[in-house]
Amino acid sequence: MNRKLLLLLGLVAALVMIAGVGAATVEPVTPAAKELAVQQPDANTPAQEKPEEQPQAKPYEEAEYRAFPVVGSRVAIWAVAQLHLLFAAFVLAVPLFAFIIEVIGYKTGDRRYDRLAHEFTKLLSVSFSLTATFGAFLTFMLIILYPKFTNYLMSVFSPTFLPYVLLFFLEAFFLYTYYYGWGKFHPLVHLGLGLCLNLVGTAIMFIANAWLTFMMSPSGIAPDGAVLSVRDAVWNYTWMPINVHRVIANVAFGGSVAAAYAAFKFLQARTDEERAHYDWMGYIGNFIAIIAFLPLPFAGYWLAKEIYAYSQTLGLVMMGGAFSWLFIIQAVLIGNLFLAANYYLWLGMGRVEGRQPLQKFIKYLLIGIAVCFAVWATPRSIIATVSEIRAMGGSAHPVIGFLGVMSAKNTAVNILILTTFMSFLLYRRTGKIATVAWAKTGHAAQLLIFAAVAVFVIFLGVYGYFVEATVRIGLSVPQVLSVLFAMVSITVIDIFLFRGASKTGVVRWGKIPAISQYVLIFIAVTFTWLMGLMGYVRSGLRQHWHVYGVIRDQSPDAFTPTLGFATQVVSATVLAFFLLIGVVFWITSLHERPDFAERTGARLPEGSDEVSPEFAVENAREHRRTS
Amino acid sequence: MRGLVILRIGALVLVTTGFYTYVGQMVPQREVQPPEEIAMTAELTTAEMVTIGQEIMKGKGLCLTCHTIGQTGALRFPDLAGIGAAAGSRVPGLSDIEYFAQSMYEPTAFVVSGFPPAMPPANLPPIGLTDDEILSVIAALQNLGGTPTVTMTTTHNYYKGAAAPGGTQAGRQ
Repeated sequence: MNRKLLLLLGLVAALVMIAGVGAATVEPVTPAAKELAVQQPDANTPAQEKPEEQPQAKPYEEAEYRAFPVVGSRVAIWAVAQLHLLFAAFVLAVPLFAFIIEVIGYKTGDRRYDRLAHEFTKLLSVSFSLTATFGAFLTFMLIILYPKFTNYLMSVFSPTFLPYVLLFFLEAFFLYTYYYGWGKFHPLVHLGLGLCLNLVGTAIMFIANAWLTFMMSPSGIAPDGAVLSVRDAVWNYTWMPINVHRVIANVAFGGSVAAAYAAFKFLQARTDEERAHYDWMGYIGNFIAIIAFLPLPFAGYWLAKEIYAYSQTLGLVMMGGAFSWLFIIQAVLIGNLFLAANYYLWLGMGRVEGRQPLQKFIKYLLIGIAVCFAVWATPRSIIATVSEIRAMGGSAHPVIGFLGVMSAKNTAVNILILTTFMSFLLYRRTGKIATVAWAKTGHAAQLLIFAAVAVFVIFLGVYGYFVEATVRIGLSVPQVLSVLFAMVSITVIDIFLFRGASKTGVVRWGKIPAISQYVLIFIAVTFTWLMGLMGYVRSGLRQHWHVYGVIRDQSPDAFTPTLGFATQVVSATVLAFFLLIGVVFWITSLHERPDFAERTGARLPEGSDEVSPEFAVENAREHRRTS
Repeated sequence: MRGLVILRIGALVLVTTGFYTYVGQMVPQREVQPPEEIAMTAELTTAEMVTIGQEIMKGKGLCLTCHTIGQTGALRFPDLAGIGAAAGSRVPGLSDIEYFAQSMYEPTAFVVSGFPPAMPPANLPPIGLTDDEILSVIAALQNLGGTPTVTMTTTHNYYKGAAAPGGTQAGRQ
């Protein structure tokens, strides 16, 4: 059996190599080559008119671009980069929250947290290998398909490459010692390994972010591209905002994929004990995802602000030009995320024993979320026929067109965040009653803060319609700050309010409808798709520039594709990712099976030195005892 | 049972990505090509310059990404309707041509009240219009409520003509 498998793998590897060599030897597509192709004599020209062909070595010519078969170079690079990024995000995020959960377990002495952190970490080993493989694949693709541009990037960032490789070695070391050393070191030593793993992983991401942000907002170079300062090239306008944005987004994404893993395991569970464990794991994963997701729009604001600060043109192309409709798609995705997260919380309230009076409030919050979602997804101009446009007096609808401007959208996003936060708060206090003496005052204070901030945010949104553009742009800052204030202050009050609270019913983990688990998977797919879409806008913003305003893209792929095409590529990469993550889940689940297990009733050939079924059963018992 | 669960999950992933792809097809579809080099000759008439200028404003110049023509309400950038008539009196001491030239070469020198100083210089990358292309845009702007007077030999504070120091022949054939 093993020999057959090896033979098959060998055959596949050989085919891949042949295909790779074939792709790599495609002729460079340069204007000169095209010209040459035009000048070449027709195939029907009589043979005697052709000059005598002499076998000659082709003189070396540095290629600017090479073509990738069928899909083209851009789509090939796009797909590989996206897959690399998705796995990298997962590999960076999981240790971050595994470490935090392990710290909670260490501080509280609750072994469940330690087991949970370990279970999350199980997903890392295979994902890390896939991340590295896609990283290497991407590097080769860049060198093969965009050699001149890659050479330029290398000339700018060569001082960062050695530290990057060294950090990568360190990450491998810390990751494997963290995973395989679970329970084998002193807890503090193990936590130290987890901390180092996170620090090294974050540093790696920061270096890679310098390369890609330089392409969008180059600095530290002369107008002709000559390097003036590597430090400035690294620390460009969008580097730090992207660093912060990615750390937060990675945690949200990683949490959602880990929750999807738990959902997958829940749906396959055979015992109540398994269901309870994976329900809890899914809840924690989703909690991490949504908590990280709430501040993400604020990090997005900062990134957008820095893009505008670097180049108004770049900012305007993003928000008002070729990419403006992309943000309507983004609104659909984020609206779905908020709706799904709230639905999951509402379903989760059913886990708690007894009647839950707070559950009835969720539907009002859902109505609020749906209204905000509708406002956010309303475009300024509407696709309409000529007669419709004439009837409306322009491409903007006379009534709902007012909802398509930034004043309305900023207000909708902030209320959306505030409402989801309240939804979480209601879930958190399900099955509990505050017993502190100031409970009534505390509840009133929370309600007052929530209402005051909601009114303030809406007031600023309406006020924005009556002031000049310079004032209006500045209004988003107090909106964001007031929502942050509400989230922090209400949480602080809540922590003290529910200290020593009496319980009206216990949480019955595992007692949740199966549809909740599909909701978790839906959230993970939506997060992944959102990452793909926003990755496209960040990269696509440069339009026909490799390095914005400095190195122009002269390749046949220099145009900006339609949003329809972009969404098809995003979907293809998302499907590929989920196919691969399915493999990761499967390989991870193999770990739980007993070693040397044989199928019951399988006959062993005479004289076989393979393990007997009796041993397998014994081994399985031993495995269960130890784990 | 296990197979059914995997099938359901697979269907959910497919339907979800399919839905988002569908949403992507519902929004306006526009493929943006890199700006083409515009053939500018010394023999172009003012009327031809107006036409070329209008094309540049829509395309390479990115002007209409921010500016509107004939819209009112909560605008983020000044509307250009009637600018051809208003330009000559907007900044004391500057003719309409000088005002337009200043607003493109040095856009933050004068900013219309109530709007942010957000316009990038049109002659520098990433927009990178040539001096002749900017002359054509001036012709198109004059045409918005005024009478175009610019020719290919017009000079201004930022462009002293092809032969003068600082003047360029970029883009002219």
